[in-house]
Amino acid sequence: MACAVASLLAWPAPVHASSHMDAPLIVLDPAANTTDVYAFRSNDANGAPYLTVALAVYPFEEPGIGPNKYNFDDNVLYEIHVATGADVAAGVPTVSYGFKFITSYKNTNTILQSYLGRVDNVDDAHQNLTQRYTVTKTVGPSSAPVTLFSNVLVPPNNQGLLTPYYNQNDNGDRPAREGVALTGQLDRYTTQTIVSNPTGYQVFAGQRDDGFYADIQSIFDLDFSFSGPNKPFDSQGGFNVHTIVLNIPLSDIGGTNQVVGVYASTSRAKVQVLQNPGHGKQAKPMTSGNTVQVARQGNPLFNEAFVAIKDKDLYGQTAPSTDTNTFKAYALNPELAAALGLDANHSTNRTDLAGIFIPDLIKVDLSTGPARLAGGSNSNAGAAPNDAGFNRLGIFGGGPNQAGGPAPDVLHSTVQTGFLNNGTLPGGWPNGRRFGDDVVDIAVLALLSDLRNPASPTLAQAPADPGIDKVDHNDIGYNKVFPYSATPLNGRSHSHH
Amino acid sequence: MPTVRRTLRPFCLCLFSLLLLLSLQTGQAKTERDPSDPLSETDRLALILAPQPGKDPLDRELARLQDKIRANRAAKPQILQLGWIFVSKARMTGDPGYYKMAEECAQLSGDESASLLLRGHIDHALHRFAEAEAVAQRLVTEKNPGWQAYALLGDALMEQGKLTEAIPVYQRMIDLRPCLQTYARVAHLRWLKGDLSGAEELMRLAVEAGSSRDPEPAAWAYTRLALYQLQAHETKKASWSVDRALEFVKNYAAAMALRSKLEVERGQPAAAVDSLRIAVAQVPLPEYQWALIDAAELAGDHDLVAKTEQALQTRGASEDPRSFALYLASHQKDPALAFRLAEEELSTRRDVLSYDAVAWTALAAGRVEEASENMKCALAEGTSDARLFYHAGKIAAANGSKKEAIGWIKRAAGLQQMLLPSEKSDLAAQASNLGVSLAAESVQTTKLKMAQTASRKR
Repeated sequence: MACAVASLLAWPAPVHASSHMDAPLIVLDPAANTTDVYAFRSNDANGAPYLTVALAVYPFEEPGIGPNKYNFDDNVLYEIHVATGADVAAGVPTVSYGFKFITSYKNTNTILQSYLGRVDNVDDAHQNLTQRYTVTKTVGPSSAPVTLFSNVLVPPNNQGLLTPYYNQNDNGDRPAREGVALTGQLDRYTTQTIVSNPTGYQVFAGQRDDGFYADIQSIFDLDFSFSGPNKPFDSQGGFNVHTIVLNIPLSDIGGTNQVVGVYASTSRAKVQVLQNPGHGKQAKPMTSGNTVQVARQGNPLFNEAFVAIKDKDLYGQTAPSTDTNTFKAYALNPELAAALGLDANHSTNRTDLAGIFIPDLIKVDLSTGPARLAGGSNSNAGAAPNDAGFNRLGIFGGGPNQAGGPAPDVLHSTVQTGFLNNGTLPGGWPNGRRFGDDVVDIAVLALLSDLRNPASPTLAQAPADPGIDKVDHNDIGYNKVFPYSATPLNGRSHSHH
Repeated sequence: MPTVRRTLRPFCLCLFSLLLLLSLQTGQAKTERDPSDPLSETDRLALILAPQPGKDPLDRELARLQDKIRANRAAKPQILQLGWIFVSKARMTGDPGYYKMAEECAQLSGDESASLLLRGHIDHALHRFAEAEAVAQRLVTEKNPGWQAYALLGDALMEQGKLTEAIPVYQRMIDLRPCLQTYARVAHLRWLKGDLSGAEELMRLAVEAGSSRDPEPAAWAYTRLALYQLQAHETKKASWSVDRALEFVKNYAAAMALRSKLEVERGQPAAAVDSLRIAVAQVPLPEYQWALIDAAELAGDHDLVAKTEQALQTRGASEDPRSFALYLASHQKDPALAFRLAEEELSTRRDVLSYDAVAWTALAAGRVEEASENMKCALAEGTSDARLFYHAGKIAAANGSKKEAIGWIKRAAGLQQMLLPSEKSDLAAQASNLGVSLAAESVQTTKLKMAQTASRKR
């Protein structure tokens, strides 16, 4: 008993940040750890316009690890928030979409937690652990949530032989399928778990490849040459995450002629230390009102690369409405700019960067057409190609691999001042964020640039290498159809690189 | 693995002692030192940078941080991180020498909040509860204190028996951050207040928030959940939870000890012995050694009984005086020493379990009135614990309060699966003396087995 009491003292050793492990405390709560948020204009097959939003959690899932499988956490409320109109600048959600999961087992008299045999169809007799979820929509701070979907199935994780249909030639020994261009080409498990409702919403949640790619190791090793032995190195290569993707019909959030803001959060239930006698055992159903927010994310890299260690957890616990007062200084005076060798003029009063990050919502101009989408780099393995003109965005347009190609995506945005505001082309981050946007390169280039005067943007310092971190594509091709995120990597056949 | 740890334990302590001695011997020549602080910065760095054996992920992280610090000896964030790694090592191995190492890291890493937090944590781990409380009080008055500051304060208050003060502090803690560590704390508080189902509910939340990236706390939470489940007679669930704990940390000592309880319940004393051998080899706590002695006795392994008793007698007082005092009192060995150890513990750690230890050792020493008074304090929070009830029954009987004694004995019998075999046997004897018929057969079975074994031994 002495040991029991003494051992209660433990808490996690503070681990300093890296991408996907943004705040010290959330690092050790992976199911609630938001890794990336995506938000971009899309069209469905019939041309109906959508805002596609996605939230990825649970960083660094080693594919196929067992027996403690990665799953969504039944005790976490996952939310994706959309701000419209004046709420964008205020950092306040106009509409919030909540995702709640429930896990069940077909057989608990076994050590085989996830699979009892080969899963031929989602939730068949061989899928022991099954997750289902409910999606709600809440408008404004005080209205009651409306259920959009209930009892939706989550597909199994990609183990290998027991989940062959995720993989090339439906063979569990082969690597995961590359991204496709047509819905009918999606793998069986993904197809079986995409659900639409009569109001036009479409949803998917499950294990996917981690679509983020970058040499994070070098950044936090303060090596901005991104060169040396074992380089280039994609720190997220070979890992999966869990991803929720929601297609929101623009007709339901005010149409196309607007800029919206998107961020996501994770929360855990509020707890009373001592329960009221007779009050019942369990807390109320988990909604925003009786939860504690433990993490949030809008734009990529803000908390990881701009916010100081001492405030990282505070960032996760607060709302974007507090960003102007609490976190704007980090965007105005980025420590990373100084680390990159920029002079004082370019590492202070960066109102252009504050325009992107404060409040920390991904701002999406919905007046453009659907975003050009990334496919895959490995067409030999069957990947769909990138959309014509898709490019890892540069602030000044183009990229290292665009010579002779179609006109590349250039950041034309009406959202942030300073970005050559034509506002006509579908964009990528920081005008929305697509799967495939090379956000590290864009962020570094933004730091090296000076966009404070829209009439004459300048490049304060050229990057040592136009490819910046030299990691310019994901380890597997993305799907160019809903749910856009890439197939989860095979536990039996994958590599880290 | 047990062999490595047995080797490491003296290694770590000896290293610290040697450096301390060296430092004391040369201390007067170094005028820059604080006279009250015998170690120089160089000595401290030498101590924390001493190579450590072991090859698990924690050891690799430890070595990586040491390399970083060697390259830049002023790298305070890395020194602080190293301090927390030493804390993790202390928890995994039960070797307090690692806490000393962590303390040196805290000394070297300055006086900021993060260093203070580490310092306060170490104070708490080394049972300097008043000092830990002082540090925590300072931390919670700073701007935007984190949940860890409230956790430290709540822990320090709870260990000192200030449960009423700890409740709002823990509430603030969990309002700031629901996570494994905060759920586990509140679960324990609920358990102390007698709310077993509420404790189980929160410990379930704790395990579900665990991460294989930080496996020891997850293993710990699963072990605690199993304990609550066993207390609630959910044996199958308890067994499942123990298995989960052992998936997170192979041969995790606390889980192996709990597994042995389940094995004893299933009538498998040999398996219990195997489990406890592993637990004791890693963390030689008196509670585990006592359980091993009992299991070995049931299994008829008299050599192991003698050997373990010898080890317990040699180091029990330094490893965990409170548990050792309970063991001594339960076996009528040196009751005066047992009482003194328990009283010393109570002077710094005034929680219900220390009151219970004083009460129990007072009874063994023939001080029935003191036993009764302290038992009242032990029961004051409403804690539902088999050992507390069993002790309360015997003390009430000794005090001539037969009706009260029968009540406590019956309550203890209802939770007898939580007791060690020797305690179950004595509980049955006490019940018999009071004319109480305990329906649960396992008590009788255990008593019979213990008696048969004792007979064979004679």
